[in-house]
Amino acid sequence: MTRFSTLACLAWTVLLCSSTASAQDMPLTQVLLPGESWQLVGSGYRFTEGPAVDSAGNVFFTDIPNDRIHRIDAATGKISVFAEKSARTNGLMFGSDGLLYGCRNGDKQVVAYASDGSHSVIASDIACNDLVVGSDLRLFVTDPGGGKVWTIGPKRHKRVVAEGISPNGVILWPGEGTLVVTERNAPHLWTYRVEPDGSLSHRERYYLPLRLLPGRDRPGSDGMTVDTNGRLYVTSYAGVQMFDPTGRMGGVIAKPYRGSLANVVFGGPKRNVMYVTAGDRVYRRKTRVQGVAYFLKPNARRR
Amino acid sequence: MGSVAPHKSTATHTGTLTMITKPARITMFALVLLTASPAFAQDNYKHGPDSMVQQGVPQGVVTQHKWTSKKVFPGTVRDYWIYVPSQYDGKSPAAVMVFQDGGGYVNTKRSFRIPTVFDNLIHKGEMPVTIGIFLNPGSIPPTKPGGKPRRNRSFEYDTLSGQYTRFLLEEILPEVAKRYKLSDDPSLRAICGISSGGICAWTVAWERPDQFGKVLSHVGSFTNIRGGHVYPALIRKTEPKPIRIFLQDGTNDLDNLHGSWPLSNRQMAAALKFSKYDHKFVMGTGGHNGRHGGAIMPESLKWLWRGWNEKTTAGEKKSK
Repeated sequence: MTRFSTLACLAWTVLLCSSTASAQDMPLTQVLLPGESWQLVGSGYRFTEGPAVDSAGNVFFTDIPNDRIHRIDAATGKISVFAEKSARTNGLMFGSDGLLYGCRNGDKQVVAYASDGSHSVIASDIACNDLVVGSDLRLFVTDPGGGKVWTIGPKRHKRVVAEGISPNGVILWPGEGTLVVTERNAPHLWTYRVEPDGSLSHRERYYLPLRLLPGRDRPGSDGMTVDTNGRLYVTSYAGVQMFDPTGRMGGVIAKPYRGSLANVVFGGPKRNVMYVTAGDRVYRRKTRVQGVAYFLKPNARRR
Repeated sequence: MGSVAPHKSTATHTGTLTMITKPARITMFALVLLTASPAFAQDNYKHGPDSMVQQGVPQGVVTQHKWTSKKVFPGTVRDYWIYVPSQYDGKSPAAVMVFQDGGGYVNTKRSFRIPTVFDNLIHKGEMPVTIGIFLNPGSIPPTKPGGKPRRNRSFEYDTLSGQYTRFLLEEILPEVAKRYKLSDDPSLRAICGISSGGICAWTVAWERPDQFGKVLSHVGSFTNIRGGHVYPALIRKTEPKPIRIFLQDGTNDLDNLHGSWPLSNRQMAAALKFSKYDHKFVMGTGGHNGRHGGAIMPESLKWLWRGWNEKTTAGEKKSK
């Protein structure tokens, strides 16, 4: 080891130490790559949402008003139609069974799409916006209009586990013991403890405050994703806001264009490319971090 | 109710240390090695006699407890400790001092050594008979296999709201008051913390100066962790509140994404001066740790509690 690297190592040790009193600081420089910025992946859609990654790193997204689900090939970047007549399907996420779970809101159904684009019904009579699928195939589904968060267990029994908020985006922490829920108009994100039976407890305004644009009192927080270090990313009017695992905002990633952002996911074979659905477009940028895939066994999630 | 022992034997009450993982212990060992080098001499502060056990000085008793919050931070669990001085007679209400990250402050082998310092200063009459309450931050343990605890420290300490004050007033103080008579005079109620615990101490007094009139902050995080950098601006444009505050920081304190600790503490001191608060600001040369604050703990407490035995109220004491 050279003298320089020894010093660098010691300096890092000191940094780690100073963080033992609080939590490790997580600036944006740990996420963003110098020289890498947003690239346009596709445009000409009407409203893109629900970005989801499969085990190969292909990214799926929905064009809600056009009733189509698209697939971005991880190797070529080519975009193809995965499913049509998708009944305003909104939030999407892959399960450990290889199925693509979706909020088929036009039919008030939660469904699972097979690889040929056909679907089967998981639950009915839920006006759903977004969902998260745990490694045990338990789903949490948001119903903003009804003010409810639902859970659907592996036996496909649905029940309400949170009420009294207008939930929008939903995500699990990497260990799946904590659920995070956005409300578009609230200056915080909610956290809940996930009990073994899927019920939620100990709600807290854990992620707070969110960045507001000058003159606005609503953050417009929407879709979320998490990385393997527990950072949480949420789309908002101000950009993609990044939080550390103790709920402290670590920085705002600039928007790729002047319009709005709806949702975010890490895709690509290494799940290190951030994809955002943004109005009539989809953008991506390479990062230094790796997204969490609940459909992989925990020890297989890091590559 | 936890174990009862003279604080002399409470060196094992290191609630925060027991949670530190093996890699972190190795890291800390590396830091100890580093601090011995000349490059880190700016942290080379020494304890004085008031931070050491003195013969003939009666020792108070420290007890350890657990608290599960049901109201303000529901589901959080935490350790806490209570120090009761030997001079406490159970008849007259005692002064109160609350410490964030209490496991560090209550430890008599580390930087702050509060039970020892309290013994010495109370014995000499340089501070009132004071019951110390040392609270660790809460965490919500996971119930799902593989889940991680939700660490609540930043949420509790860095948030600019009355939530932590309510936690003290509605949960902790009533619980301690079941066993001990506590003063409700804000000039006899102090609160102290390090880093995020420091800004938390200020927030508690800022929110409820009618309840807490004295603040002691060590390397306080008056930075943008959760918006706390606005306090200097708020202090300048708010009718002064009856708060006496001692601020300690060091020129080698943190400079990171949340802000610059030395600059933020200077901004606090300047704002407190502008608005004529009863304040004292000590800027040392240390980093983000308790060495300087620990070494000057007795002097800090003497300043904070000065005049305690004159019959005063917080209102009369403001704006020296």
